Amino acid sequence: MSISDLHWGQLALGLLILVIPLYILWKFKTDLISKTLIAVARMILQLVFVGYYLEYLFKYDNPWVNLAWIFVMVLVADFATLDRSELKRKKGLFISVFAATFIGLLLIDFFFLQFIIQLPNIMEAQYLIPITGMILGNCLRGNIIGINDFYYNLTQHQERYCFFLASGATKKEALFPFFRTALKKSINPTLASMATIGLVSLPGMMTGQMLSGSSPLIAIKYQIMIMLAIFSGTLLCVYWGILFSQRFVFDIQDNFDKSILKENK
Amino acid sequence: MTLQFSNLGFTYQKQASPIIQNFYLTVEKGDIIAIKGASGTGKTTLFRLLLGFEKWSVGNITFHGKTLQNETLEQFRNQTTWLPQDLDLGEGSLEEVFYFPFNFKNNKAKKPSQSDAEIVFDFLGLKEISWNAEFRSLSTGQRQRVGIALCHFLDKDILLLDEPTSALDAVSKEKVKELLFHKNKIILSATHDSWWLDQCTKIVEL
Repeated sequence: MSISDLHWGQLALGLLILVIPLYILWKFKTDLISKTLIAVARMILQLVFVGYYLEYLFKYDNPWVNLAWIFVMVLVADFATLDRSELKRKKGLFISVFAATFIGLLLIDFFFLQFIIQLPNIMEAQYLIPITGMILGNCLRGNIIGINDFYYNLTQHQERYCFFLASGATKKEALFPFFRTALKKSINPTLASMATIGLVSLPGMMTGQMLSGSSPLIAIKYQIMIMLAIFSGTLLCVYWGILFSQRFVFDIQDNFDKSILKENK
Repeated sequence: MTLQFSNLGFTYQKQASPIIQNFYLTVEKGDIIAIKGASGTGKTTLFRLLLGFEKWSVGNITFHGKTLQNETLEQFRNQTTWLPQDLDLGEGSLEEVFYFPFNFKNNKAKKPSQSDAEIVFDFLGLKEISWNAEFRSLSTGQRQRVGIALCHFLDKDILLLDEPTSALDAVSKEKVKELLFHKNKIILSATHDSWWLDQCTKIVEL
């Protein structure tokens, strides 16, 4: 069984379905028509670019080029994390989030590709790039929620942090509750999706595999593996992201430097 | 155990005039000192300077003759309990938040049993509060009394109390005095309360 390819013309025809949502958006004067058109155009352009690029990447399949591509993906995710959070783009924070995500991803990739799938070459683009992309997308969401929550809470409840310090806590001990809340919040969406997966929705990767001819039984095995990778990867990246960034946001007396927040929140 | 403020001055960023100026004070073991002054005169700021949460602009604070910074500050924080005016111990049940400070390495040995804690809670009029009650749902006065119980059990050499009786009735105030006033401690309190002022050995006006 193999997948039937779509012609570009068929795909263009598929765009016609947008008439329905656009009509609803127009009828209710939502002011979202242009935003929708821009989002659709961006989605198509980005995917076309990635499609051609990955086609080349898969054919060439050079480990260094693959690694460089992951580097670029993490770099873009790093910018997105800081831009969508309340944190300023400070060098220390940027490097911390980058290092946490990059090392975390490679560790999870290595575990699954080497020990679980047992690939002869773990740098093989066909496996490395899509799996890394899936984990990274979720790490990005986890990082935005977790890192943001940690520093936002610390700013909002600075008196609590100070109280703990003034009651004999080390910085690590005083930050413990803030860590706990941030980790819980960052992992909640993944936990919720794991609890309903297969019942409420069929995940994208599994659907893609089945469409391209895989048996559903093979597809679910990969899906279980990817969910485990996403869960572990997200938690690890958020944990390290907060841990590494701490070095740059406290002074020698363990006081929190609020100037890392945008508009001095 | 001596704490010394010499010519202390502090100005907040974006403020033209200093909130604390030319402040001198020597505090010895056994002193029970009230810092008196209208709102906004720098009473809480003085505690924040002592605890290293703000850096003074002029003068010096010394503890055992050494400037209160780095290792000396760490040592000072380990010997202190600070009770802010509105105690925020975070989310969770009374049991979770009350016992949290006893998880710190420095305080582990002082962790009270639940029955010991209940005796003090009863003494402070907190008998009706369940351990499962959400800490944040307690009234300001109840939270203040939980803070007093924490100060009692943490049993540090130095107590910094910010308006410790602001939400307490006369009976509770007497009990707080009974629980916290010990001869071998330093007690520094910021207060407006005339009854509390009468209990202190020294009054300093800001």
